[in-house]
Amino acid sequence: MTRRVQTPLAWRNLTHEWRRLLIALCGIGFAVVLMFMETGFENALFDSTIKVFEDLNADIVISSKAQYALLAGETFSRRRLYQARGCSGVEGAYPVYFELYRGVWKPPNSKGNPIRVLAFDPRDPVFEIRGVAEQHDALKRPRTALIDTKSKSKHNVPETLDELLVLHGTELSAQSIRLVGMFELGTDFISDGNLIMSSSNFARFFPNRAMGADPLSIVDVGVIHVADGAEVNAVRQRLRRILPGDVEVYTKREFIDHEIEFWAESSPIGFVFALGTMIGFLVGVIICYQIIYSELADHMAEFATLKAMGYRNRYFIVFVLRESFYLSVLSFVPGLLVSLALYEGLARNTGLLMILNFERALLVFLLTIAMCIVSGCLAMNKVLAADPADLF
Amino acid sequence: MPSNATPTATAPPSDNGHYAISIDGLQHSFGEGALRKQVLFDNRLDVGRGEIVIVTGPSGSGKTTLLTLIGTLRTVQEGSLEVLGQELHGASPKKLVDVRRQIGFIFQAHNLFESLSAFQNVRMAMELFDFTRGQMKDRIVQLLTRLGLGHRVHYKPGALSGGQKQRVAIARGLAHHPKLILADEPTAALDEKSGRDVVGMFQEVAEREKCTILMVTHDNRILDVADRIVNMVDGRIKSNVVVEESSLICEFLKQCPVFVQLTPRTLTHVADQMVLEKHSAGTMVIRQGDPGEKFYLIRDGMVDVVVDGTAPRTVATLGKGDFFGEAALLTGEPRNATVMAKEDVQLYALGNEEFQAVIAESASFEEELRKALFERQ
Repeated sequence: MTRRVQTPLAWRNLTHEWRRLLIALCGIGFAVVLMFMETGFENALFDSTIKVFEDLNADIVISSKAQYALLAGETFSRRRLYQARGCSGVEGAYPVYFELYRGVWKPPNSKGNPIRVLAFDPRDPVFEIRGVAEQHDALKRPRTALIDTKSKSKHNVPETLDELLVLHGTELSAQSIRLVGMFELGTDFISDGNLIMSSSNFARFFPNRAMGADPLSIVDVGVIHVADGAEVNAVRQRLRRILPGDVEVYTKREFIDHEIEFWAESSPIGFVFALGTMIGFLVGVIICYQIIYSELADHMAEFATLKAMGYRNRYFIVFVLRESFYLSVLSFVPGLLVSLALYEGLARNTGLLMILNFERALLVFLLTIAMCIVSGCLAMNKVLAADPADLF
Repeated sequence: MPSNATPTATAPPSDNGHYAISIDGLQHSFGEGALRKQVLFDNRLDVGRGEIVIVTGPSGSGKTTLLTLIGTLRTVQEGSLEVLGQELHGASPKKLVDVRRQIGFIFQAHNLFESLSAFQNVRMAMELFDFTRGQMKDRIVQLLTRLGLGHRVHYKPGALSGGQKQRVAIARGLAHHPKLILADEPTAALDEKSGRDVVGMFQEVAEREKCTILMVTHDNRILDVADRIVNMVDGRIKSNVVVEESSLICEFLKQCPVFVQLTPRTLTHVADQMVLEKHSAGTMVIRQGDPGEKFYLIRDGMVDVVVDGTAPRTVATLGKGDFFGEAALLTGEPRNATVMAKEDVQLYALGNEEFQAVIAESASFEEELRKALFERQ
């Protein structure tokens, strides 16, 4: 069966009046931006929160069983790490300390603000954060710390290393502290800044964190390195058997997924952003419907004429679907570009991770197409109602 | 007993015994319940293939509704409507579309897509069929050139005048070689020359392709192209006159002394209303004592006027150009004589209603008739 020649009427109609098309693209593009922003925030939530875990140099992670998320602040006994060291296949087990709430950073001539503090033994290879490894020696000095350059502006992070080194009068939780270097990590929805220090310094600044006992005796995150040649899952199983039930043993990936799961399913924030995306979708449906409907309404006589010629309903259904598809594709591109710019601006302003990768762009693209197709289906009745009998 | 009396003056030409359009008892109403309004009443019409028919009538006469019904654009409610060999009453949507595709529509508004060129607009009509790209191109360029748009084939409607756009619409209605064309005021937006070009094309397709053309128009300039003129009033076909026949009658009437006084308009009106009747030799045309129903004018042949009585006697013999039957219509009394066809005759008959209407219109006519009547006594 030979394919019949067909005039591309849908494309022609859309592009004929470029002013009208431009307005349409802005309207639908707006909905695209809305969806990108909502999904962007949702992803920022996940990406930012787990960034610190991604940067962990770990094969296996141990945390308290009660630790449903980092923000819970639940700790486990350091003894568990000693026990882990004894397990075959374990090359090293190192403690990492987190203080989320009690660290108050006060730059000179400024008021104090809460800041997150990460601490570990500088000899332990626990982090893959850029620049930290080189500054291990500096961290050994008493009452010193590195500061995250991505911390929010209220923390008055110096621009350059030189400025930073001459800075004095800085305090952490009412004690004097000196900055000796910078690193790059990023903020999340709980903490808007980071300091890194040695565990001995950490014990000095937060002496009461274990309620009378050695402050370093309770650990937030345990980092386990697996020996060369040993299989990670096997080691993980063994650790599970050896260690008592007050800790949970994860692979690094599982630990990250566990954190994401909390935010996606238990916390209301994940739901709120998902809802926001839905709203963006609905806004897009309404705007696109208006556009398609008015375009159809303006050409009712022409469509009725086509019907008189003998064009069947199927033709008009395909026509509207084609228009919807073109609108979605044409609007997506400017929407994507604006969103990229917004992501960039937001990331710089808040320190959050606003990442637009291919999968995420594809998701919003599919949502955009679906959005326009839905509008097309809703508007379709208009053109199907064109009555050629009214033409006489 | 009159033989061969047909409501239409002549049987229309047909192909394979099929008319292009065959209407019988067609009724149509709009609205529901209390608001129901009937717009077509018991219509009968046969149109042969290749005929050019003009439908006239005042607004509200139902002619537009008739056109939409023939064009399958409205559903037939009651009666029979056969178009291009297919019965439309009760036809499935698929069959309706199949018939529709053999029809070419020309609406009063051009309804062209602004986003497409003239060429593309016309091509949309052809894309439903299996024409090749080359065939379509040749056909479209040929049509548009014939309509005087050869240099504007790829212009968009925005760059065309109103008359040019209408011509594109006409090309679109003809492009796919339809078997039936339904046109609504096709030449209204055109100047004299373009109008004649269009009408010339209609005649061409009617003759060459046996395409039937049904037009609603008030354009006096193109009335001459019609084979037949159908006049509708208040939902009924009031007259259905084959133009050729009508003008013949007119010519004939002009030669009759009693009709020569009439204004050309009345003359045409009378000619339109007259119906040709043929009677074989020896048959009775009117019987003495019957109520008077028709007025007769002899076109050809001879009749004997016989008065009954104790001894029937022939009081007169009438021939070509003579008339009879006016007495009963004028006086309201029954026929005062019997008229027999002496040989095969052809008569023009005018019904009583129409006769009275002509009388009312022309005082001189009435006078002439009464004078003649008086002389006959």
